[in-house]
Amino acid sequence: MNKNDIKLIIIILIIAIMILIVIAISDNNKNTKKALIYYDNNLIKTIDLNVEETQEYTVEGYNGEVKIIVENGKIKVDEENSPLHLCSKQGFIEKNYESIVCLPNKIIIKITSDSQEQYDTIIR
Amino acid sequence: MEIKKISRLAMLLAISVTLNIIESFLPIFNGYIPGFKIGLANIVILIVIYVYNFKDVLIISILRVFLVGILRTGLFSPSFFFSLSGSILSIITMYLAKKYTKLSIIGVSILGSISHTIGQIIMAIIFYNLNMIYYMAFALIFSIPTGILIGFLAKEIKKTLDTSIEWQNN
Repeated sequence: MNKNDIKLIIIILIIAIMILIVIAISDNNKNTKKALIYYDNNLIKTIDLNVEETQEYTVEGYNGEVKIIVENGKIKVDEENSPLHLCSKQGFIEKNYESIVCLPNKIIIKITSDSQEQYDTIIR
Repeated sequence: MEIKKISRLAMLLAISVTLNIIESFLPIFNGYIPGFKIGLANIVILIVIYVYNFKDVLIISILRVFLVGILRTGLFSPSFFFSLSGSILSIITMYLAKKYTKLSIIGVSILGSISHTIGQIIMAIIFYNLNMIYYMAFALIFSIPTGILIGFLAKEIKKTLDTSIEWQNN
């Protein structure tokens, strides 16, 4: 490991920390935060994350039912049928731009606090 | 290509496929952070970049993705294309870094790790239209320890290969 490698590592760390800071700044409007659930790239459900009590939802995935739990502004996949159970191992997500991807079930959960997502279409 | 080179590249290809499969049995990194793995197969790719030329690396890398696709993940599945775009972007980056920068094998390995992730993220954006910026920050941080580990292993193995008479006697 020479000097140039250490410079490279420092540059990478600075970029990563800058990305995290930008996300933390854009993460302030908690009230409008929503989870968008996609099946096979089609939006099938929008869940408002601004809830006090724990809520359970069930959506139909490619391999059967996918159980989703929402509590306190966070969302996670609780049970699903897939070989590695990657998306239920991932646990809760809560930040803007975070996502859970369940490839075997073709389910994608994205978090957004962008108010534009409320509109069906935008005509230009 | 002379026979000795063909058999050596075939052996390296077999090692890289084996490392890839061994890695899938290591439960530590399997899933708790999605998409994060050590990338043991990259040891072989790094050695091939440093010993042979770009064409050989490209052939080894693409063949490895196809073989792993047949053996494990399924040919032409989404993870096959993720792996293909990641591998191609990472070998191009590593080759350019080796040729035009003053980085050591460890720095080249870190860049390879990052560009592998970026290649996969590009595919994720094409396939699923995801905003991966959050994931990118963690991928950048994790690429440092894995890149150092892989680069260090490749350096040590290459040192042994350089001193072995069998390897030099082309």
